[in-house]
Amino acid sequence: MTVEIALFCVLGAPLVQAALILLLPKPPGLRDLIHIGFSLFAAGCAIYLANAVAHGETARIVLARPLPNVDLAFAIDPLGAMMAVVLTGLGVLHAVHAAGVVRAKQEKAPARLLAFIALSMCGVTAVAFSANLFSFFVAYQALTLAAFPLVAHRGDEEARPAARAFLATLLASSIGFFLPAMIWTYAIAGALDFQAGGVLAGRVDAFTANVLLVLYVLGIAMAAIPPMHRWLPASSNGPFPALVAIQALAVLPAGGIGILKVVTFVFGTAMEQAVIAAQALIVLVGLGMIAAALIALSKEDIRERLAYSVMAQSLAVVMGALLAVLPGEYAAAGLFAAALQIVALACAASTLVMAAGTTAAITGRTKVSDYAGLGRVMPWTFAGFAIASASMIGLPPFAGAWAKLWLITAAAGSGLVWAAGLASVAAILTFTHLGPLAANALAARAPTDAFKRPDGASILLAAPVILAAAATLSLLVLANPLAEFLSPIWARGAP
Amino acid sequence: MSAAYIDLARAHAPLLLIVMPLIGAALMLVSGPARLSWFVAGLVASAGAFVAVDFALGALTGAQPVAAVGVMLHVDGIGAFAAALLAVVAALTIWGAGATLKDSGGAAAPLALALMLCVTAGWIGALLAGDLGSIIAAVETAWLAGVGLVAVNASRDRAALNGALRMLSLGGVGFALMLLGAALFARAAGTSSMESLALARIEAPGLASAGAALMILGLAVKAGVAPLHAWGVAALGRSTSMVTFGVGALGMLGALAVMSRVAGYVMAAPEIGEGIQAALAALGGVSVVVGSVQAVGARNLLRLTAYAGVSQAGCVLLSLALGSPAGFAAALVQLVAFAAAALALYGGASAGRVQTLAMLDGYAQRAPLASTAITAGALSLMGAPLTIGFLGRWRLVEAGVGAGWWWAAGLVIIASLAGVFYGGRLIERMYFRRANTAYAGEGGVWRVALGPVLVAAIATIAWGLAPGGLLRAATSASLMLGGLSP
Repeated sequence: MTVEIALFCVLGAPLVQAALILLLPKPPGLRDLIHIGFSLFAAGCAIYLANAVAHGETARIVLARPLPNVDLAFAIDPLGAMMAVVLTGLGVLHAVHAAGVVRAKQEKAPARLLAFIALSMCGVTAVAFSANLFSFFVAYQALTLAAFPLVAHRGDEEARPAARAFLATLLASSIGFFLPAMIWTYAIAGALDFQAGGVLAGRVDAFTANVLLVLYVLGIAMAAIPPMHRWLPASSNGPFPALVAIQALAVLPAGGIGILKVVTFVFGTAMEQAVIAAQALIVLVGLGMIAAALIALSKEDIRERLAYSVMAQSLAVVMGALLAVLPGEYAAAGLFAAALQIVALACAASTLVMAAGTTAAITGRTKVSDYAGLGRVMPWTFAGFAIASASMIGLPPFAGAWAKLWLITAAAGSGLVWAAGLASVAAILTFTHLGPLAANALAARAPTDAFKRPDGASILLAAPVILAAAATLSLLVLANPLAEFLSPIWARGAP
Repeated sequence: MSAAYIDLARAHAPLLLIVMPLIGAALMLVSGPARLSWFVAGLVASAGAFVAVDFALGALTGAQPVAAVGVMLHVDGIGAFAAALLAVVAALTIWGAGATLKDSGGAAAPLALALMLCVTAGWIGALLAGDLGSIIAAVETAWLAGVGLVAVNASRDRAALNGALRMLSLGGVGFALMLLGAALFARAAGTSSMESLALARIEAPGLASAGAALMILGLAVKAGVAPLHAWGVAALGRSTSMVTFGVGALGMLGALAVMSRVAGYVMAAPEIGEGIQAALAALGGVSVVVGSVQAVGARNLLRLTAYAGVSQAGCVLLSLALGSPAGFAAALVQLVAFAAAALALYGGASAGRVQTLAMLDGYAQRAPLASTAITAGALSLMGAPLTIGFLGRWRLVEAGVGAGWWWAAGLVIIASLAGVFYGGRLIERMYFRRANTAYAGEGGVWRVALGPVLVAAIATIAWGLAPGGLLRAATSASLMLGGLSP
């Protein structure tokens, strides 16, 4: 298999997967087999591509040329390959879990749900491998449209306005902010290709760089930057398999990847020109992290609490990327922190949402106050929940700890001590809304009426949770290899 | 022998493009049953489309000489390009109208088809006319045929008469403006011949500016450009598919194409170019904003499409206002985008007799193909990437930014944002709501009438993916203004 074919497969497999699921919705066993099998295949292709990148290989596929000098193209690079491995790898666990949840909860239209999850995974993979701003924009829009049916899946009075808010926020911000920024970049540089060192490097003055940075950051609303975050809490009423895709594996990570790509490949050294906008955005993001963590504390519904919690974590990615404004080694440290944070967030958020999904499927409970003692009757699920909570808080040795360590080091080392302070406060607040909850679930007395389903959680529901939780430990040994793997991105013309 | 006939036809292609629909219209009156009339009209329109595309390809690639082709006709790049577009749209609309022939009343269907062919002949005539007077005569032919088309619908819905009356009265105003404008411009330029106009020396710039502005204003009335679009909602709001196709798609497209052609000639004169630029830009800006706002608030699908067309017309005017070959090329691409989106939306709606937005609920389950067409049209109107709508707007923004017109880029973004709201609403209703009305579309063999609508939907995406040929044709056409070789 050549690298180009692997790239084509990792992008195309979810499309075939979705088509087959829709064409063969019954029997459920075949449907689930297709879903899991293709997810495995996509993950295998992603690993192959990461290996190819590690060996210095390159690949680029061009699907169309819709504009002069602008291709609809996808290419492999270390950042895209790493994200694809993490997201498609967790996607396999999610596929298994989704198969379990739709059976246990007897979700309506399960084939449609699984098919659009597959399409969303296709969207985020396309975002990760996009070779230029136009391809990123197309993939971003496609991901929005693919995730929209997930939010609207239930089709009731609650789901429809939520879906409208989701679509309106994401599409309007991308068209209102990102598109003008992209056109402006094209007018300045005459190209939209992602380049190591930044396509805008040496081509923009301070005013242009500041305005462009604001437009790009607000335009990538998938990163949930206030005030473009409304889609995230709005989507929290969807079915749990949809929530995993939206909050952990597809939509939210796509925002982080987009911010990283823009800062690294579009701005590069031109970030130094955008100091004012970057610092203002860091303030906004830092305050947003704190506000989101506080709001999470006030939420009684586990889905809403997790939505605000992952929002706070996602904003840490944006903060790390924006630290690239500072010259020297700490800029690279900020970018690395942002990349690690995406990985940590994907692992922890998918674990938490899957655990909540398992709990809802087995016990019918979605209220935080009803979680007390459930860890005693569902030990595997809540062990995973506790590990993921620890990672979100930033407790060592879990993944979130390393990401936050790099983030705070980068911020403090570059003189932005207040930014490090904001990140630290947010971490403490994350502890307040997740720590007691996990502890109470494990330590309190077990409820006598815990199970709605007397046979308990099947292996389809429990195993993915604990495996995803185990993945949060991976950065303990993988942080250094990942740093080496990603170093080519910012080694050439580093910001 | 046949080669000689083909060469003869090619040599007289511009004349054929006008005469064929008129002969077809005459045939409608003697062809009997509605379906037979439809079949004959479809054949005539298809033959016209074939001739028009062949002629345009020859003219735009330089294989066939252009410019003066007779006493009354004069071919230029925009005329050749737009005539081919109109002829193709006419063929698709006539085939697409087949499934809803009974809506006009069985006996009235041949008359409605004849009027559609007259609309086509009129607008193509205006695109190929050799002087300003002929342009006005051809425009009025098309316009009055459109009024008749709306009025034919009165047997089904008396409100159609109101629409026809509004078209007649506002069209009369437009006619008067055009006539006065043409007279003033011809006086100032010393000629009304299109062949001489491009190279004419303007002796009285003030008079010429006033004349050109009045002509463009008159055409703007007929194109439904805001705020001169009061006839549009009355004519299209509760109309049959024949009317929406004939007036909403063909009529607006024809008027915009003729406006592009006239603007090309009058803006070539540096003495008056700046004034016309400003007028077009102002009119375009107002049209984008008003059309977008009204489309967002619309509760009727046909009205929504009409308002979206007003917004799109504004984008065309903004492109024209740039006055550069890049601007004219962008305008032509936008005309194609508008044609494809209008066909997809009107066709998809008429397949199920959908008029209000509420009737779209669950439409995807009842009529999946028609819903696909509407989705493609809506995405194009939004300016979603990989659709022809995105390409058109990108070209406008690119040309606008190149000229320093950042505000034009801003207006295009506004149009796209509005498109997200009204287009997204259509998609949400079709795919995520339960049906509340029965499907009224015809089945069986008449499903073939959905074919043209799907062709438009496919074109919307296909040209978004691979627009090379279209862009080359539009660029070539914009460089052949005045009948000059590229």
